[in-house]
Amino acid sequence: MMQVHTSTIGDATVLSCDGRLTMVAAPTLRSAIDDAVSDGRVRLVVDLAGTSFVDSSGLGALVAGLKRTRQAGGDLRIASAQEQVRMVLNLTNLDRILEPFDSVGDAVHGW
Amino acid sequence: MSRHDVVERIDESARLRALDALHVLDTPREERFDRLVELVKELFDVPVAAVTLVDEGRLWAKASIGLPTGSMPRQDSVCSVTTERDEHLVVPDLTVDDRFNTSSTLMASGLRFYAGQPLHAGEHRVGVLCVMGYEERELDPAEIRLLRILADWVEVELATENEMRRAALLQRALRPRSVIRLAGFEVAGHCVTARQVGGDFYDWFIARGSLHIFAGDVMGKGIGAALIASSVRAVLRGAARFISIEEAFNRTAYDLDQDLGDTSMFVTAFGACIDPVTGHGRYVDAGHGLAVLLDREGVPRRLVSGGLPIGAISGDHWDAHDFVLDHGDTLVVVSDGILDYFETPNDGLEALSRMAGRGLGAQAMVDEITGFVERVGPVDDVTVVVVKRSAG
Repeated sequence: MMQVHTSTIGDATVLSCDGRLTMVAAPTLRSAIDDAVSDGRVRLVVDLAGTSFVDSSGLGALVAGLKRTRQAGGDLRIASAQEQVRMVLNLTNLDRILEPFDSVGDAVHGW
Repeated sequence: MSRHDVVERIDESARLRALDALHVLDTPREERFDRLVELVKELFDVPVAAVTLVDEGRLWAKASIGLPTGSMPRQDSVCSVTTERDEHLVVPDLTVDDRFNTSSTLMASGLRFYAGQPLHAGEHRVGVLCVMGYEERELDPAEIRLLRILADWVEVELATENEMRRAALLQRALRPRSVIRLAGFEVAGHCVTARQVGGDFYDWFIARGSLHIFAGDVMGKGIGAALIASSVRAVLRGAARFISIEEAFNRTAYDLDQDLGDTSMFVTAFGACIDPVTGHGRYVDAGHGLAVLLDREGVPRRLVSGGLPIGAISGDHWDAHDFVLDHGDTLVVVSDGILDYFETPNDGLEALSRMAGRGLGAQAMVDEITGFVERVGPVDDVTVVVVKRSAG
């Protein structure tokens, strides 16, 4: 079962996903994002170092998260996306709006 | 006719409609029901167990052990009486019960014990899960409870049948309605579905003198995704008949904005419009990324763009791009389910190139791809559409 661990770096909140981000796991990520935004934490970095696979539901959770954070005046960035994840983001052109940063540090830098 | 009679008539009409809506009457035997009655038979240690449906004038068994097959007249059946009340009916000895000992069929069978729990479709009692035996017997409260639990299970299975039939109908709404007959072109396509109904759709038609093809994929699986997919297909189809392909996409996105809205749903799609005389084509790629033009040697050109999926961001806009389908060229559009079968998209592309280089026709290519997928086993829906222009 995929887990999401929350931590902070400066005024950014990092959500680290541990496991495959599929239809079963997507709601977990959505909840974590919703909780963070409700808490007023609107600068989110989703750390995908521990995620080897993402399907369309997982992408949907990320896109929904992006919409939510932006509506709240913030933003969502992804970090440490592995090969399959980068491939899918590139295929769907979603990397245009969900730019994959190499690391959490890069994603947070200059925010 | 008294008022009471009228009310009863109306109720019975509604009950029969509910029974009809299950689409279970007169359907073939199914393993899941057979297994259920077998389990019931074992649990109660009886010679007879059945799932019966009470139709207007007859009793029909969907699954039964120990009873003759076919229907029996409703008036002679105990199950019909069971459906009169919303609770179980236990008859320890049919031979001494005046409601039943006048039925010659029942008495001739030698059966003495009966226990039945009504089965519901919504609020209506449409049938019974029953057990019967040749010896007098009572049921204790635990057994009555068990029968009710098993009846609940049967109710779920009866309802599922209806959903699967609806799903099959929905699948048909995600496919083209007709074959394309266009001189100089061969158009073929297929979708291999994984276990559940999903969001893949494809379509083709001739409009405004041009050949239009579409393939798309709604994020998600199940009925929800399929419903959105059939909606997208219908809107694209309707729009493209009258306006340019990029306008069709832009209009579709606008129409869908409400449905996709704040949800995490989005739709990847590809559409192309080809002039059959010149071979000149225009395409729109909305995050689909899996369309490739292959020449007769199999040299590929991916038809991509920077277009995002429909629904990814609100108020988005797509542009069409040009291509030419020369004599001997092939256009292949596949859904992302195909990627499960290759290490990288490039590997898949190479496989397609080799197929095109062998001079395969459209149907042959579709057959080869779907055959490959079916052999390995579908993980996700895989859709493939191929347009081949004959050599000059």
